[in-house]
Amino acid sequence: MKREITFTLNGYEVSAEVESHRVLLEVLRDTFDLKGTKPGCGQGECGACTVLVDGVNVDSCLYPAFEIEGKTVTTIEGLIREGNRLHPIQEAFVAHGGIQCGFCSPGMIMSATALLSENPAPSDDEIKQGISGNLCRCTGYVQIVESIRDAAAGMKQNAG
Amino acid sequence: MKKFDYHMPESLHEAFGLMEKYQGRARYIAGGTDVMVRVKQGAARPDALISLRHIEALKGMHWNGALRLGSMTLFRDLERDKDVERTYAALAQAVRVLANPQVRNVATIGGNLANAAPSADCAPPLLVMEAICRIDGPGGEREVPVEAFFLGPGKTCMTETEVLKAIEIPAPDKGAVTAFAKAGRVSQDIALVNAAVMLVMDGPVCKDCRLAAGAVAPVPLRLKRAEEAVTGREITPDLLDHVKGIVEEEVRPITDVRSSAEYRRIMSGVLVKRAIGQATGGIV
Repeated sequence: MKREITFTLNGYEVSAEVESHRVLLEVLRDTFDLKGTKPGCGQGECGACTVLVDGVNVDSCLYPAFEIEGKTVTTIEGLIREGNRLHPIQEAFVAHGGIQCGFCSPGMIMSATALLSENPAPSDDEIKQGISGNLCRCTGYVQIVESIRDAAAGMKQNAG
Repeated sequence: MKKFDYHMPESLHEAFGLMEKYQGRARYIAGGTDVMVRVKQGAARPDALISLRHIEALKGMHWNGALRLGSMTLFRDLERDKDVERTYAALAQAVRVLANPQVRNVATIGGNLANAAPSADCAPPLLVMEAICRIDGPGGEREVPVEAFFLGPGKTCMTETEVLKAIEIPAPDKGAVTAFAKAGRVSQDIALVNAAVMLVMDGPVCKDCRLAAGAVAPVPLRLKRAEEAVTGREITPDLLDHVKGIVEEEVRPITDVRSSAEYRRIMSGVLVKRAIGQATGGIV
């Protein structure tokens, strides 16, 4: 069955006709051509498909398309700042080598965004728990934790 | 993957009607973190999914001495609730190590129980707190103690149309302490063994004890023989070793992809002992 859904995507109100058996990941990549969100395990374990729905990080590979109605969705593309500048979390990942092949990075950064919006000054343990749903095969996580730690410090400084 | 219809009823009455219309070829879906995986893998091939997410009667957390959790209560909310942490420590501990943040942000306690995995992390805490499952269906409401809710792996006592409406957790006994322990290969793993304990202590003597373990039998288990060995006794290292032995005999684990029966048997004793230590603040 098909249905038109209306929701907010990266700040814009959008509509699309979607099929009932689709998931948010497919809607983002296929309907809206936003390829930043990656298909990984398809089972809610690797986190490569992580996006924010109403500010909270979720696996878009398991999120039924019809349930997006009325929600606010943010993808990695939505983090871009004025003048095409990177979000502070993205800048920190670049500065600290938190990105190698880059496949986990959008999901990892979206989880970091969710973490820091709820807990602006996380301990290293809290950072690790915050990204415990995002797998990385390249970095060994050390540089990722550093990137998030640094991003938190930087964002706190700018806010204060 | 077979295509499916997706319905979002706004009342239980509507949900029951839809389920009856599909005559066994539809499934209820809550957060979707179990159902969507099964459907995508082809393990489940429903004609339709009936979402429970928009039914007000299934939502909300109500305190009244006891705690009534609507089945659609998100783990995300349970995780962050200070009153739950203070009153039902074992449940709070279990929720914190269940899957990962992205899953917890959409998954529900009702869905976890209805999925009826023997390894369900919520189950041992609810067993030791003797929670009650409130079920609703076209035939009316009924209540079932959580111990009788699970019938086997993936199987509950509910009929096809029935829905788990709420979980009622009695107020803890005065002086009760609880704890939860889980063994997994890695973080976010499904438990290869999990365990929960509830103890009412009088100094070093345990006046009342309830123990439960998951992933070591077709259903989450109350360990009644082990409980008898603790109740009324002073908790000492020797007693705990003795209890560990009883637990090992009481569980019925299998070997599967996650672990061997032997390791599970050993770890069930270890986790019960560890959880008792945690609950009593390390008296032993």
